[in-house]
Amino acid sequence: MFRAIYEYFKEILLAIRGLINGMRITGKYIAHARKEIITQEYPDNRDTLQMFDRFRGEVVLLHNENNEHRCTGCSACEVACPNGSIEIIWARREDPETGKKKKQIETFVYHLSMCTMCNLCILACPTDAIKMGHDFEHAVFDRSQLTKVLNRPGSKLEKGVEE
Amino acid sequence: MYDFTTLVQSIGNFLHGQFSPGVATALEWTLVILVYLALYAILGLVLVYVERRVCAFFQLRLGPNRVGWAGTAQTVADALKLLLKEPVTVNKADKLLYNLAPFIITLAALTVISLVPFAKGLQAFDINIGLLFIVAVSSLGVVGILLAGWSSNNKYALIGAMRSGAQIVSYELSVGLSLLTMVLLTGTLQLSTIIETQANGWWIFKGHVPAIIAFFLYLTASIAEINRGPFDLPEAESELTAGFHTEYSGLKFAFFFLAEFVNMFTVAAIATTVFLGGWMPFHLGDWAGFNAVMDFVPPILWFFLKVSAVIFLMMWFKWTFPRLRIDQLLKLEWKYLMPLNLMNLVFTAILVYLGWHG
Amino acid sequence: MEKIIFYILSAVILSLSLMSVLSRKLLRSAVYLFGVLTAIAGFYFLIGYHFLGAVQLTVYAGGIVVLIIFSILLTHDIDHQMPTPDWSRVAVAGALCVAGAVMFVQLLQGSLFSRVEAPEQSDLNTVGNTLLNPGGGGYLLPFEVVSILLLAVMIGAIVIAKQRHSVDDSSPEKQAP
Repeated sequence: MFRAIYEYFKEILLAIRGLINGMRITGKYIAHARKEIITQEYPDNRDTLQMFDRFRGEVVLLHNENNEHRCTGCSACEVACPNGSIEIIWARREDPETGKKKKQIETFVYHLSMCTMCNLCILACPTDAIKMGHDFEHAVFDRSQLTKVLNRPGSKLEKGVEE
Repeated sequence: MYDFTTLVQSIGNFLHGQFSPGVATALEWTLVILVYLALYAILGLVLVYVERRVCAFFQLRLGPNRVGWAGTAQTVADALKLLLKEPVTVNKADKLLYNLAPFIITLAALTVISLVPFAKGLQAFDINIGLLFIVAVSSLGVVGILLAGWSSNNKYALIGAMRSGAQIVSYELSVGLSLLTMVLLTGTLQLSTIIETQANGWWIFKGHVPAIIAFFLYLTASIAEINRGPFDLPEAESELTAGFHTEYSGLKFAFFFLAEFVNMFTVAAIATTVFLGGWMPFHLGDWAGFNAVMDFVPPILWFFLKVSAVIFLMMWFKWTFPRLRIDQLLKLEWKYLMPLNLMNLVFTAILVYLGWHG
Repeated sequence: MEKIIFYILSAVILSLSLMSVLSRKLLRSAVYLFGVLTAIAGFYFLIGYHFLGAVQLTVYAGGIVVLIIFSILLTHDIDHQMPTPDWSRVAVAGALCVAGAVMFVQLLQGSLFSRVEAPEQSDLNTVGNTLLNPGGGGYLLPFEVVSILLLAVMIGAIVIAKQRHSVDDSSPEKQAP
C-alpha cells in the first residue's frame, strides 16, 4: 500500500525531471539561437556559399591545367548508370607520339535531366576521371541545354593513366 | 494611476449625451464588438508570427524573415492569401454543419476573451461567476470541432474529431478542478475581484506549494483542452493530415487557425489573472523605491508581459515534448492529473481552514 | 432593449426546437438542440441568473449535447436519413401536439402566476450558502440524495461494463474493446 503510493509519486517526480531535462536542452538552443542558427539564407550568401564535401550536384569530368582528362573511354560508367544518363562516343585514332591506333573518347555526353545523382558512375570509374560537382543551380529555359558534353574541346588523355 | 474606468465611463457618457438611450446602448455594443473583433484578428496575426519565429529559434532555424521588417508582415501576407483562396466544399459534406462549425468555434473563443480583464476597468463582461463562465463557454468549442470532423465526411477528420472529443471532455475536469483550487484561496469567481485579492502579492507566491502545483496542472490541462502540442492529437499532421479541419480551405480554415491561437492567448490570460496577479505590478516586500518604479509601468503592459511569458512557456512545451499517444493522453489525465488535482484541492482546503493563506 | 432580446431568444428557441424534432438527419437534430439549450442559457443571463446560465451552458450545452453528438458519431454514417413517417402517424402526432399546446395555454391562463422581480443578488455566496446549508431553508439534504443517485448510476454503469467485458473474453468472437 505505502509502497505503491511511494512508487506513484516517484514516477511523477522522475517524469517531471525528464521533462525539465528536455526543456533545458531546448532552452539552451533558444538562448544561443543568434549564434548557432544552422539555416543558410541562400540567395544572399551566394558568393560565400560553401557546399559540404559529399554534396552531389552533377557529374563533372576533371581536367588539369594542360587541358588533359583521365577518361580512357572504357564505358564502365555508361554500363553502371541505371538510367542511361551517360553516353560515351569513342573512336580509334592514331596516337601522335607512338603512331599506334588507340581508343579515345570523342564526346562524353551527360544527360543531367536523367541523372539521379546516385554516384554509381563515380564508383565504377577505374581511373577516377569523373566525380560529383558541387554546382546545384541547374535551372535552364530549354530541356536540350541539360544534355551536356563534359570533355572540353581539344582535351586529351593525361599521360600515364593507362599504365 | 492608470485607471481605464474613467475613460470607459466618459465614452459612455459622451454617447448617452449625444444620442437617445436605445441608440447609445446599441452604439456602445457595436463599439465593444468592433474592438474585440479587431483584438481577435490582431492577436491571431501577432501570435502566428511569434509562434513561427519562436519555434524556428527552438529548432535553430530562422523562421519567416523576409516579408516586412524581420518577417513581421508574413502573417499579413498569409492572411491575404487565405482570403483570396477558393472556399472548397466537399461534395458529400453536410453543407449546413460544415459551414456552421467554424462559427461555433470562433464564437466560443470570442466570448471567452470578452471576460479577460486587460487592466483596471478594461473588461467587457465582468460577471459575478467569471471563472465558471469561462469554463462553461470554453467547453462549447468542442461542439464546433465535433461538427467539423463529422460534416467533412472524411475519415481523418472524423478520427480527429473523436480524439478531440475524448480529450476535451476529460481534460475539462482538470481545468475546472485546478481553477477551483484557486477559488478556495481567492474566495471569489469574479475576475476583477480575483485580481484585487492579489494587490499584496500574486497567488503563485502567496498560495505556497498548492498554488504552484495548481498552476502547472492548469497549464497542462488547458493546453490539452485547446488541442495544442504536445497534446495536438486531433490534428496530428503525421497521422491525420490536418485532423478535423482537413477538408477546410481558405477563410473557413483561417477561422479554425485563428481560434486556436486566440484560445492560446485566453488560456495564458486566465493563468495570468488567477495565478500571476493579472495587471497587478510586481512588488517586492517593503522596498518602497522598487515598488514605485514597478507601479510606473502601466498595468496593461504588465498584463501583456505576463501573458507573453506564459505563452512563451507554452511554446517551449510544444517545441520540446513529443506528441502523446491517445492512450497515454487519457492515462495522464485519469491516473495523474485528476488524482493530483483532488489531492491538491484537499490540501488547499486544509490550508485555507487553518488560515495560512495570503 | 431587453424585450427585443427576449423575443429574439424566444423565436430562436421555438424555431430551433421545432427543427430539432422535425429534422430527418440525426446529427442536425442534436445541433438544433444545442442551439435551444444555449438560447435558454441566454434567458438566464437576461434575467440576471448568471450562475444558472453558466451551469446550463456547462451541463447541458457543453456536457450532455457533446455526449449525444459523440455517440451519434459512433453510430451512423453521414448519408443516413430518417425515413419519412406514415401520413397517419404524422396526423396523430400533430393532433396530440396541438392538444398538448392548447391544454398548456389553458392551464397557463387559468393559473395565477404572480409577477416576480429578479432578486438583485444572485451571486455565488447566496447560491453556495443556500445549496450547502444543512438547516434553515438549505438544500444540503436533496443535494446529497442526488449525489447518492449519481453514485448508484456510476456503480451500475461500471457493473454493466465489467459484465460485458467478461462475456466477451470467454466468447470465441472477441471484439475489440
